[in-house]
Amino acid sequence: MIKDKLRVEKVSEGLYRLDTRGLVCPYPQLLVIRALNSLSSKDVLEVLIDNPPSVRDIPPILEERGYKVDVIQLDNMTWKMLVRVSK
Amino acid sequence: MSLRLAEDIEKFVGRYSIGRDSNPYDTTGSQHFLRIKIPGGVLSSDQFREIALLSSKYGRGFAEITDRQDIQLHWIRAEDSLDIFGVMDKMGFTTDMCGQGFGGAKYGDVRNVVCCPVSGIERNEIFESYPLAKEITRFFTGNPDFLDLPRKFKISISGCGADCTRAVINDLAFVAVRSEGVTGFTILIGGSVGPSLPGPRLAKPTRIFIEPKEVFDIAVAVVEIHRDYGNRESKAKARFKWLVEAWGLEKFISILENKIGREFPRYDGPVFIRRADHEGVQPQKIEGYWYINIPILGGRLTSSLMIQIADLADKFGNGELRLTPTQNIIIPNVKEDSKKTVLETLAKTGFSMNGSKTRWLSVGCSSDFCGKARDMHGKKMLKDIVEYLEEYFGVETLNDLGLRINVSGCPHDCGASLVSDIGLIGKQIKVNDCLIQVYDIFIGGSTGEKPSLGICIEKNVPAEELKFRVASLITSYIRNRKTGEDIGNFYKKHSNEKLKNSLGIRR
Repeated sequence: MIKDKLRVEKVSEGLYRLDTRGLVCPYPQLLVIRALNSLSSKDVLEVLIDNPPSVRDIPPILEERGYKVDVIQLDNMTWKMLVRVSK
Repeated sequence: MSLRLAEDIEKFVGRYSIGRDSNPYDTTGSQHFLRIKIPGGVLSSDQFREIALLSSKYGRGFAEITDRQDIQLHWIRAEDSLDIFGVMDKMGFTTDMCGQGFGGAKYGDVRNVVCCPVSGIERNEIFESYPLAKEITRFFTGNPDFLDLPRKFKISISGCGADCTRAVINDLAFVAVRSEGVTGFTILIGGSVGPSLPGPRLAKPTRIFIEPKEVFDIAVAVVEIHRDYGNRESKAKARFKWLVEAWGLEKFISILENKIGREFPRYDGPVFIRRADHEGVQPQKIEGYWYINIPILGGRLTSSLMIQIADLADKFGNGELRLTPTQNIIIPNVKEDSKKTVLETLAKTGFSMNGSKTRWLSVGCSSDFCGKARDMHGKKMLKDIVEYLEEYFGVETLNDLGLRINVSGCPHDCGASLVSDIGLIGKQIKVNDCLIQVYDIFIGGSTGEKPSLGICIEKNVPAEELKFRVASLITSYIRNRKTGEDIGNFYKKHSNEKLKNSLGIRR
């Protein structure tokens, strides 16, 4: 199961998805940064996430690094984070 | 990030995590904590030193002993966590999984298994419980079948005949007993003093008798019951106590018997046969050896003190240390002729070996890091109160009373204030548009032979007045008690009006 979480899935041209659901800190943050490092500058990374502490922690960390992050709440326990690699 | 990172993550998921320090007032600047599980609280001086080095490198040189015999570090950065996990992996330790951050009734894990801190060395011990604590921990750690419980699950094992593990606040507590000359265990279930539904509950004695060889299977079976039948619709109802309350003991025992495949004999004897007495300096099972229990009062230590304690354990003990469920440290196996030197060294280092028993018995929570609280916080408040009481009443008087004072900075009651003689639970209220930290005072909570939840006798006491109120309460008790009457019974027989009158501030 964890192997699936480590993989970044290509959804369409320029859009990639990382599913971190079920993972606690620090893994979502580490996986997101790892995924971003593997993408090109025009790509968008969509992150599925259900760990509220990570939802609070990750956007400021990425914004500090120059990424643009939009967080959309999908239901009361799941969020989608759209991270634009372009700085 | 490298392939190495991917491999590390795969290796560590399910066994290691960091929790979020979430005090909204950011009183410390810490974002994450690391809660290192020390099964049964037993570790070597080398391991303790290694944790001190982790604390020094990553945790600003501070560490906390928790009331579940863990060691907690703060100021942990996510980007350092894999290096830290790597060091811990070599030491053989893991962490809590910190699934409480999730929104729903899911990803709960089995927390550090608490056991008698002097298992195997205590005189008059009924059963050596530490090997069982270790076996149970090993089974549940990283076990994918038990990483998605409805909520966390707390287990304790007590073998000394006393309630040093505070059995009643655990989801499942094993307590060694003797029945008709046969040694075995009885179990208590469904304890938790937090505010989750159905509210604070003491674990209920099941009155069944099990053999020591069944402990492991029963631990697994009860956690399976929690996993498979626990409430998953609501996080507030997902602690095991909700299921126990909904089912009742009879149904629970029947389901457990079906899982184990036999009916358990009934045990009607006492659950505990004496009051815990592991404080200070105590003789061990083997003549000529002593264990020295160092009071830490709140459990907070610097890495340099940790290294000094580890050195003492090497020089005068057998290189072993034990963490207690009341946030202290024990150096076991000190020979008679080294006892004096160890005590003198500890006194020189600044530990209050001649302080009151309350120092050993009391617990303070880490509300400066995690609670929705402001100054004064749990540990600081505890220290302030105990120091004041020692000065006001004197150590001898306090020792006669043997009071346990637990302080929790917020209503989650992580300090288990509801089961202490004097329990203080913090919260914030608005006064003139400003939020101030106040405490509710609870009296008469206890664990052990006659467990009970404390009753609230005054609400919203400003933090700066608290120690004076507590001193007033104790004064009133000392002056008016009947012979042999404990503080809980004394206060429970008075009306609320009389109680409030006794709370006048005496400086």
